[in-house]
Amino acid sequence: MGKGGESHEENMAAWLVGINTLRIQPFKLPPLGPHDVKVRMKAVGICGSDVHFLKTLRLADFIVKEPMVIGHECAGIIEEVGSEVKNLVPGDRVALEPGISCWRCNPCKEGRYNLCDEMKFFATPPVHGSLARQVVHPADLCFKLPDNLSLEEGAMCEPLSVAVHACRRADIGPETNVLIMGAGPIGLVTILAARAFGAPRIVIVDVDDHRLSVAKDLGADGVVKVSTNMQDIPEEIERISKAMGAAVHVSFDCAGFNKTMSTALTATRAGGRVCLVGLGHNEMTVPLTPAAAREVDIIGIFRYKNTWPLCIELLRSGKINVKPLITHRFGFSQEEVEEAFETSARGGNAIKVMFNL
Amino acid sequence: MAAWLVGLNTLKIQPFKLPPLGPHDVRVRMKAVGICGSDVHYLKTMRCADFVVKEPMVIGHECAGIIEEIGSEVKHLVPGDRVALEPGISCWRCDLCKEGRYNLCPEMKFFATPPVHGSLAHQVVHPADLCFKLPDNVSLEEGAMCEPLSVWVHTCRRANIGPETNVLVMGAGPIGLVTMMAARAFGAPRIVIVDDVPKEVEKVCKVMEARVDVSFDCAGFNKTMKTALSATRAGGKVCLVGMGHNEMTVPLTPAAAREVDVIGIFRYRNAWPLCFEFLRSGKIDLKPLITHRFGFSRKEVEEAFETSAGGGSAIKVMFNL
Repeated sequence: MGKGGESHEENMAAWLVGINTLRIQPFKLPPLGPHDVKVRMKAVGICGSDVHFLKTLRLADFIVKEPMVIGHECAGIIEEVGSEVKNLVPGDRVALEPGISCWRCNPCKEGRYNLCDEMKFFATPPVHGSLARQVVHPADLCFKLPDNLSLEEGAMCEPLSVAVHACRRADIGPETNVLIMGAGPIGLVTILAARAFGAPRIVIVDVDDHRLSVAKDLGADGVVKVSTNMQDIPEEIERISKAMGAAVHVSFDCAGFNKTMSTALTATRAGGRVCLVGLGHNEMTVPLTPAAAREVDIIGIFRYKNTWPLCIELLRSGKINVKPLITHRFGFSQEEVEEAFETSARGGNAIKVMFNL
Repeated sequence: MAAWLVGLNTLKIQPFKLPPLGPHDVRVRMKAVGICGSDVHYLKTMRCADFVVKEPMVIGHECAGIIEEIGSEVKHLVPGDRVALEPGISCWRCDLCKEGRYNLCPEMKFFATPPVHGSLAHQVVHPADLCFKLPDNVSLEEGAMCEPLSVWVHTCRRANIGPETNVLVMGAGPIGLVTMMAARAFGAPRIVIVDDVPKEVEKVCKVMEARVDVSFDCAGFNKTMKTALSATRAGGKVCLVGMGHNEMTVPLTPAAAREVDVIGIFRYRNAWPLCFEFLRSGKIDLKPLITHRFGFSRKEVEEAFETSAGGGSAIKVMFNL
């Protein structure tokens, strides 16, 4: 038996029922375990992966074979706590870390739980997501928000966590000049995270002027407009070099294309690192050998681990401000859900589309 | 006299005038010089990556010899000392040098990387701090073998090889064999070498009977990198040591999505002392790898390079001067 108010309305969620087809339908919650909490969802952001599942019903090796609740970037209010839950009470405002690891496999036990063999992650099939009125989730994956942080900022902890994890793996600090490929939502949170980690110079590239101006407003020291043409790489590297005014120690490829990876590998100084954050095409054709011959290492990034406390602290102290990234807001109705996803898919001036439930 | 690369496929033994002996230099009488794949590559193509042989150049860089003369400021060596030579002279002024990553020095002057002359010669002049005194029980030939071994010591360090890292080695040429020895010396519990890339990655893991923690790609081809990336466990590392094609087409994304990192290796740094320790203690025995020996005459130099280029049963071809 849990402690706290029980809601008697039927739980509803946004289900992915077919290609390009979302439907708000009942979503029956599992029973509340002793270490679980029931959360009333208040803020849910749309991620590029959610859009990808909507449009194609798949992502890498994950295939949507049955209807699945969408969404994973979320925050809400505790409604009920399981019998063993000590650190949370009903009424607490929390941000949710989506992935439930097994804690039995080797990666888990080594602390690299993001690589868990049995990971159960919101809206990665076959696990249901969190764009719903309520979800049940392990209490240890619900992080209490300080008073000065909104629930929307809580939901933003998820994309921000990817950038924080990348900055840790790439060892960002006061001596690492950073180059970011791609000014999409992930590239943009990477600017914020890199700065918070102390990066002295940050230059970001993109094909889109609007995205670059947003990047400038978020604090990038330099922005460079680039093309999708491989032939332009040498000239672009010259402009990047000029914009940075110093060596590139770490590059973050937040787009994941041959061109962005090739540029990053060539632009990064000997002994530096390139983080592949953007998961694009399966096979990539890149100048690996010259990079290896300069000991430029390639670091892989998959989601995050142990990042919520740091994200919350960086937001609480004001070291990072994610609010400008939330460009569009929608309510939780059939019509608005469809419109929200269309807006997110369109890109353009839409950075983070947020549901307020 | 030295062995000069004077044109495509053309080596000539010709006079080699030594520079004057600086205060921190030594003059070494060469005794053992091994042939490296890169030496053969220069012979056959006059280039290696961005380095192009534009003028005649002395070949060879894996070497050991006996000190003949020391500069005025040299304190740790005396004539008669048997030494192994670390080929590359760094600038010690640039950022990379000062961070200790001197192998990446943009001003590196390296034996037989044009335009710097190599060491397949009767004598060379070299900085004393790059000449390492051989332990009594280590031969000059083993001293020359420290150069290729150093690449693997450096790789094992960068890859963090230890008692918990199972290692997959792609490529069983001379490089692959030295790799195996180095990995074992660093404590790797299981080492699997693959020469012909298997059709299924699962086969590799079956032979390993455990997860692959680190893979070394000693060949540097798309196929070998692909296998290495797929076979390595999530969170593991792939070291790209083999310098193959410039552009490679590899499944980078699935690897990155499992946080399999790709680590680049270029030569070595601060590796000679550890090589000596491995050889002195017997933890590593390189002698079986020296399969062919030649003297220092025009005919033998040509034959030696042909033998090395031929591959097959030739692992390390060594000159005894």
